[in-house]
Amino acid sequence: MADIVWGTVTKIISTNSFEMNVSHQKDTNGDSYQDIEEIHFTQIDIPSIPVDESSRDILQIEQNLKDKFVKCEISGRNSENRLVCSVSHSGAGGY
Amino acid sequence: MWTTQILREATNSTYTDLVSGKTPALIVPNVLSSSFCISLSRKILKTNLMGVNLGISKKIGTSLSSHIYKKSEYFSNALLSNQTLKNLFSDNVSPIDVMQQTISKISQKKISSAFENEMIYSIAMIRIHEHGDSVHLHRDNSDFEMSEYGISNLKNQLSAILYLQSPLNGGKLTIYNKMWNKNDEQMRCPEFGYSSDLIKNVPQKNIFPIAGNMVIFNPKLYHKVESVIGIKSRISLGFFFGEMSKNHLCSWT
Repeated sequence: MADIVWGTVTKIISTNSFEMNVSHQKDTNGDSYQDIEEIHFTQIDIPSIPVDESSRDILQIEQNLKDKFVKCEISGRNSENRLVCSVSHSGAGGY
Repeated sequence: MWTTQILREATNSTYTDLVSGKTPALIVPNVLSSSFCISLSRKILKTNLMGVNLGISKKIGTSLSSHIYKKSEYFSNALLSNQTLKNLFSDNVSPIDVMQQTISKISQKKISSAFENEMIYSIAMIRIHEHGDSVHLHRDNSDFEMSEYGISNLKNQLSAILYLQSPLNGGKLTIYNKMWNKNDEQMRCPEFGYSSDLIKNVPQKNIFPIAGNMVIFNPKLYHKVESVIGIKSRISLGFFFGEMSKNHLCSWT
């Protein structure tokens, strides 16, 4: 099972990466993670963010991700020390 | 003083005080008679088309929060659940209409169910809390993470709940004098709602779910539902509404 962290998106770095304030980590994670991590996302479940990276722009990513609470399923780290993740929205603030 | 208001007669400030959170909640007593609530609750409990929701044993209806990024699925499910609710209320006056008429009087605005591209939103949700069911601390405003939906742009969103059956014990709604702001997202719980640390030492008001009473409050105020105790379920009917224009409100769930 992949390691999972949750938290809020604090800064958009590029059309496929952001900085995150990690507030929750899965109990059974194999590794531990910093309070602030940079995420490189390979998949994202938010329809307003195009799958094709060349069709994205920073403003679009900011509108959809900045300050949002997200779940990141981690598949590793890349050469820039960013967590490589599949990102999805998490739960709901209410009903 | 931050005090729940019981509606005797709507004044100009009744609606605006709810919007601003100056009043924690407005209780409108006896919107439905107790005999009507009893017959409606019996009918609801016999209905088979029920789903589950976090903290709730059963529900009838479709909610946006279960479909944040699944818009087409939301509208398909809304079409089905709206029909279920219409069938359920077909023998008598619809409690949804009664709630809308009451809100219209209080706000002095027209109200109708929300549409988007000719698709109707889910009109209401029946929630059935059984013994042990509770709902953790949360807020319900749609203007932050539900930007896929047109209703997220409606101003001054409020929540309306009509209690159809009171539990034997428990099930009270607690509203806290604290409005959500986006920095609070750092206090989110992964599955649902927020950490209780957010409302430490914050004044609160408790509202007992009395059958026939309607409660209106600002869903940006943090709130929770206490555990229901006993064999009698807590049954409520609810929807949200907001301003489409100065004199027109739209409702959805």
